[in-house]
Amino acid sequence: MNFSFSEDQTLLRSSVRAALDEQCKPAHVRAMMEDPRGYGDALWGEMAKLGWLGLPLAEEHGGAGLGVVELALVLEEMGRAAYPGPYFASVVLAGLGLELGGSAAQKEKWLPAIASGRACGTAALLEDTLDWDPAATAATAAKTVTGWTLDGVKRFVPWAHVADVALVPARTPEGVSLFLVDPRAAGVTVTPMVGIDLANRWSEMRLAGVAVPADALVGAAGGAGPVLEALLRRAAVGAAAEMLGAARRCLDMSVGYVKVREQFGQLIGSFQAIRHRCAEMLVEVEKAHAAVYYAAWALSAGAEDAAMAASVCKSFVSEAARQVCGDAIQVHGGIGFTWKYDLHLYFKRAKGLEPLYGDAAHHRELLVRGQTA
Amino acid sequence: MDLNYTAEDVAFRKQVRTWLEQNMPRQIKNLDERKAWHRRLYEGGYLGMGWPREYGGQGARPMEQAIVADEMARAGAPPPTNGLGLGIVGPTIVVHGTDAQKRRFLRKILTAEEMWCQLYSEPNAGSDLAALRTAAEDKGDHFQVTGQKIWTSGGAIADWGLLLARTDPAASKHKGISCFLIDMRQPGVDVRPLKQITGSSEFCEVFMTDARVEKENLIGRLGEGWGIAQTTLGYERGGRALARITTYASQYKQLMDAARRLKRNGRPILDDAVTRQKLGRIWADLEVERYGALRVLTLLERGEHPGASGSLTKLSYSEFEKRFMELAEEILGPYGQLTGGVPPEYRLEVDTAVGDHGTWAYAFLWSRAGTIYAGSSEIQKNVIGERILGLPKESRADRVGGTR
Repeated sequence: MNFSFSEDQTLLRSSVRAALDEQCKPAHVRAMMEDPRGYGDALWGEMAKLGWLGLPLAEEHGGAGLGVVELALVLEEMGRAAYPGPYFASVVLAGLGLELGGSAAQKEKWLPAIASGRACGTAALLEDTLDWDPAATAATAAKTVTGWTLDGVKRFVPWAHVADVALVPARTPEGVSLFLVDPRAAGVTVTPMVGIDLANRWSEMRLAGVAVPADALVGAAGGAGPVLEALLRRAAVGAAAEMLGAARRCLDMSVGYVKVREQFGQLIGSFQAIRHRCAEMLVEVEKAHAAVYYAAWALSAGAEDAAMAASVCKSFVSEAARQVCGDAIQVHGGIGFTWKYDLHLYFKRAKGLEPLYGDAAHHRELLVRGQTA
Repeated sequence: MDLNYTAEDVAFRKQVRTWLEQNMPRQIKNLDERKAWHRRLYEGGYLGMGWPREYGGQGARPMEQAIVADEMARAGAPPPTNGLGLGIVGPTIVVHGTDAQKRRFLRKILTAEEMWCQLYSEPNAGSDLAALRTAAEDKGDHFQVTGQKIWTSGGAIADWGLLLARTDPAASKHKGISCFLIDMRQPGVDVRPLKQITGSSEFCEVFMTDARVEKENLIGRLGEGWGIAQTTLGYERGGRALARITTYASQYKQLMDAARRLKRNGRPILDDAVTRQKLGRIWADLEVERYGALRVLTLLERGEHPGASGSLTKLSYSEFEKRFMELAEEILGPYGQLTGGVPPEYRLEVDTAVGDHGTWAYAFLWSRAGTIYAGSSEIQKNVIGERILGLPKESRADRVGGTR
């Protein structure tokens, strides 16, 4: 039993933090919020060089072969920096999706490209009804002589506007299947959906008679369910890690602020109303930490309770991060409500991820279903 | 990071489980039987196991202690007795006591031959413990103690008490306090049960009128009592970290069973979407408590002291317990309030706080105590704010004022 990070993991965290402190300052985040593409080549290149883009991918495909704990460490630091860019979309959604379900040829084609940063991927997991259950997929894929034709509408697809490849679930006669789609192919329309977190981009992806070759099918026809469920668990824990980073940043900023802000002739941190709120924020952040890293470990180790831990993690952290980031604005008072002050960058990062890969209600239902099945 | 139990811990758990199967009494009817069970646990090496070997303990690891308590919770084993003796008084004597005090008291604490209580809180000194007024006057060959204590757990069965009393009324608030061992079985000590909202009396009030404390029973030096009381001591640190969770989990399972049986609007409550959300949330909270316990045990296993972060743990689980019991009441409806005539299928089959098979009503009422005793939630938040987050101290009359 050892719930602490190894020396390598601690080193990884500090190197990620150092790089982001240097290259992903709030000024960079703000610049990218205005940028049409939304991320910069310099930081992307640096991330490739440092091995982050292949971190959880197999070594044979140019990855580092590390586990979900290491991935969560990187994502937590990204949340802490409100990192703008397609890291999560490319590495977690496309990278791990292909690791979980892709054929040798598909992995060979895409994983080295993702790991080196040459290609950027994503996954289109949500539709009109916002149901995360893979079985709810309404998009269709019809068999043709040369492959498949896809039709449907996907919503909230992360970084689809810069993606070279997207994992797209679609219904075939055998059930729900998974396909590789080029978002720039004929018949695909990618339209920005502009959320409150301008540093994290979403798009609507319309598929109208999109032709894909036979080898675009990932895994067996009708076999997408287990792959998507496994991917969603990793995405949920990964998103929770980012939210944890954002929440801890909000806590740190709040604690720093109440130690210098004076009202009524006293530092506001000396008032119990403020101090108790900060103490409650710390409790939530520490519990979120335990929830994220327990689940990350469970997924990596293939522990018996991995699915449950992922749902515990996302349901708990969704609510904890909402509470902590909201409280941060409250203890800051007026300045926390200004655009110029950086707090809202982290508040919005956490908020944006709250409904994704299953919100708290979705995962609570999964927990109870698991107990009553 | 490896959250599997080591092979050593798994083997140890199996050994404890087997021992409990062979030795656990089915039912305990009185204090003598509880003391006998306590003794058997001690002789089996499962009690006081965190104490240093030279004082009768095993020098066991925190994880081993946590596993023993956890297996006892799992098996529904009756708890031992003399918890304050083992957890607080003994360690205080080990660290601050004289050789004579160690020889005289320690073994009998472990074997429960002598039962102990803690005489700290007073009617006007609760969260502000240092405001205590019980006086111990130096009479030359002994101290004479007069004053009132409250919230003394086990006061009625205690042979001895660990006492905080004021020895120097002229000194500043925190400096005039000394720590003593007081014989509870003497005419000047009057113990009265304190009836709580549960209807039971796990706590007592203790009235001391010219009670006698021998000079040799002063712990540490005169005027050092506050420091002694503030030091977080204890060898049973793995303690109930896991056992607590196991008890909650067992209660949760029984609550699910009840939610399956009870109906609302013609359907089992368990099919109600709102209730499912609440159950899912409590389960997630409970799991997160378990992860937190594993994190604390990791620190303890490395020999680190959790220090002020113990406040995070205490604040978190005591508040959780209140939320959990509120949900139980919501699901159980009036069954949840029964203290008698409880149909068997709605009886709580796990040990409640004081170790009896109890009712949901009793467990519910007890949940109100956890956020008050051993430092209220408000005090824990002050500790977290000041000692962990380093927030500025509030201006307090007793910090400015000095003497009182």
